[in-house]
Amino acid sequence: MSDVSSASSFDLKAEVRRAIAFLDTAVTNSKSMTSDLSIDEELNLHSIGWEPVELVSGVSLFSIPFGCWNWGQGEIDAASTAHAHAFHNAIARIHHDAAQAGGHGVVGVHIERSIHPTHVEVSLVGTAVRPVGARAIEDVNVFVSDLSARDFTMLMVAGWEPLGLATGASFVFAPRRTMGAVLQQQSQNVELTNFTEAMYSAREAAMERMQQAALGMHGTGVVEVKVVEGPMRFATHAVGFVAIGTVVRLVKPLHQLIRPTMVVSLNDRIVAFDAQTLS
Amino acid sequence: MTSAPGDLPEAARRRLDQGAFSSGLSVSDFAACLEMGLEPVGLVQGFCAMQWGNYSMVGGIGRGSTPFGGSQGGYVENYQCPHGMISVEHRMFGQNYEQTWIEDSWREGFTNAYARMIEEAQALGAHGVVGVLDSESSFGEAGVIEFHARGTAVRVLDAPPPTQSPWSTYLAGQRLAKVFEAGYVPVSIVASVASIRVWSSCVTEYLMEGTTGMWSNSTGAVEIDQLVSAQSIARDVARSKVRAQLLGDALHGASLDVVTREFSKGDFEIQSHLSGNRVRRFKDVDPLDVPKPTVRLS
Repeated sequence: MSDVSSASSFDLKAEVRRAIAFLDTAVTNSKSMTSDLSIDEELNLHSIGWEPVELVSGVSLFSIPFGCWNWGQGEIDAASTAHAHAFHNAIARIHHDAAQAGGHGVVGVHIERSIHPTHVEVSLVGTAVRPVGARAIEDVNVFVSDLSARDFTMLMVAGWEPLGLATGASFVFAPRRTMGAVLQQQSQNVELTNFTEAMYSAREAAMERMQQAALGMHGTGVVEVKVVEGPMRFATHAVGFVAIGTVVRLVKPLHQLIRPTMVVSLNDRIVAFDAQTLS
Repeated sequence: MTSAPGDLPEAARRRLDQGAFSSGLSVSDFAACLEMGLEPVGLVQGFCAMQWGNYSMVGGIGRGSTPFGGSQGGYVENYQCPHGMISVEHRMFGQNYEQTWIEDSWREGFTNAYARMIEEAQALGAHGVVGVLDSESSFGEAGVIEFHARGTAVRVLDAPPPTQSPWSTYLAGQRLAKVFEAGYVPVSIVASVASIRVWSSCVTEYLMEGTTGMWSNSTGAVEIDQLVSAQSIARDVARSKVRAQLLGDALHGASLDVVTREFSKGDFEIQSHLSGNRVRRFKDVDPLDVPKPTVRLS
């Protein structure tokens, strides 16, 4: 294929006329394909011999027992468990959807996640992809990744492969201070160690769970980890930490170095002429 | 999409005959279109205002008391109470059902606005419409929705006059150029809506309230099956409706939006909206070389 951006010999106008003329004559009998990828992303996939096959999704909602956010100590197990199970089931459903469509993986997964006092909701939407013309594989072997098709391409070129989405979440009570401590601290700017320690506790549990998930997939690391942390808006003494990323593994003997080409823009940094100066 | 209904106003016809072109393209998209040999001939638009009042099939009466309330030819799933008759407020049945009349109204509004836009493009002798934007907005009067489709009609330079209804695409400029270079030709924009109504069963309602014990059949975190099913079906129905419009072509750049509305306690609508570009391959795949990464030095 000619270089999209720079080939001077490529007659784009003739190509457009040819394409439009094709609409008058052609009746396609091929299998339909759906994808939320942009044309750039599809070109990226094709450049490494992959193709999109179907727009797929997975959803799960889990209940959280009423009142579990308000009183207690240590981790809020019901909330952490609900979050983990909701992700697990949503991922299993998108695996199934992708495998049914003949996909070997799902890229560019949009993750929508919301935590309410009495339930947690997870929705995943992405495009199933496969090596061009490859046969269908089993659900369990399909990978799910929130990496864009461009990042997926770069990862594969560098000799790595995505294995799946790893998540870790932990919700922890920040212990209430004693009345004496409240009175003593109310006129001071001091660290509230109960909240700081709760955040550390939630972080360690969540990060460990994500790393355990990665090891469970036989991965060597997790890339593009997104972290969402902080107090829960509906519970005054609960904090949460959620980490989500794509598990990767080196499949070539060595990491393939990608040496980027340096480019310098020749655009002027300072506008030499400004119409406003004429007034 | 249906063919144009043939109701272009006389004033619009006179305006379109005046000669000067209008366009919704940015300057860079305009330049890219000229580079492709696409000459803008006019900003074309279509409107349709639809009555949207009939949102509830039976106004809530009877739902939950019978598993046979049903839908009109769409998906229906019933959820039976495991507790038996407890009180008149207790929901003996829950139900998920597809609101086919909502989907049909949406399709009629969208299709009419689209067809009217295409009719204007045809009146201009255009081959296609690029940079399409579609929107829905509520009129001041309750229950009225306005559908609006607009785009820039283009003629292909040095091509014979069009013999078919103009093609359309949400894309314009360089993105459209890459579609052609990648071996695809735009056919039309496609869109669909799926509307699933959820009348929660007693167990679903208890789970949403975080109730544990015998009422919710749970003692900890459990999956809310009725809502999972409704959410999944809403996505599947929207996808299958779009697939039915593809006729062997591909859908590119799809956008799937899902909105949940709660009308009253335990009474939800899950509406999913899927749209994208229907494109057809006119030449075999000819992959680019693996892209070269660059770093910009400032």
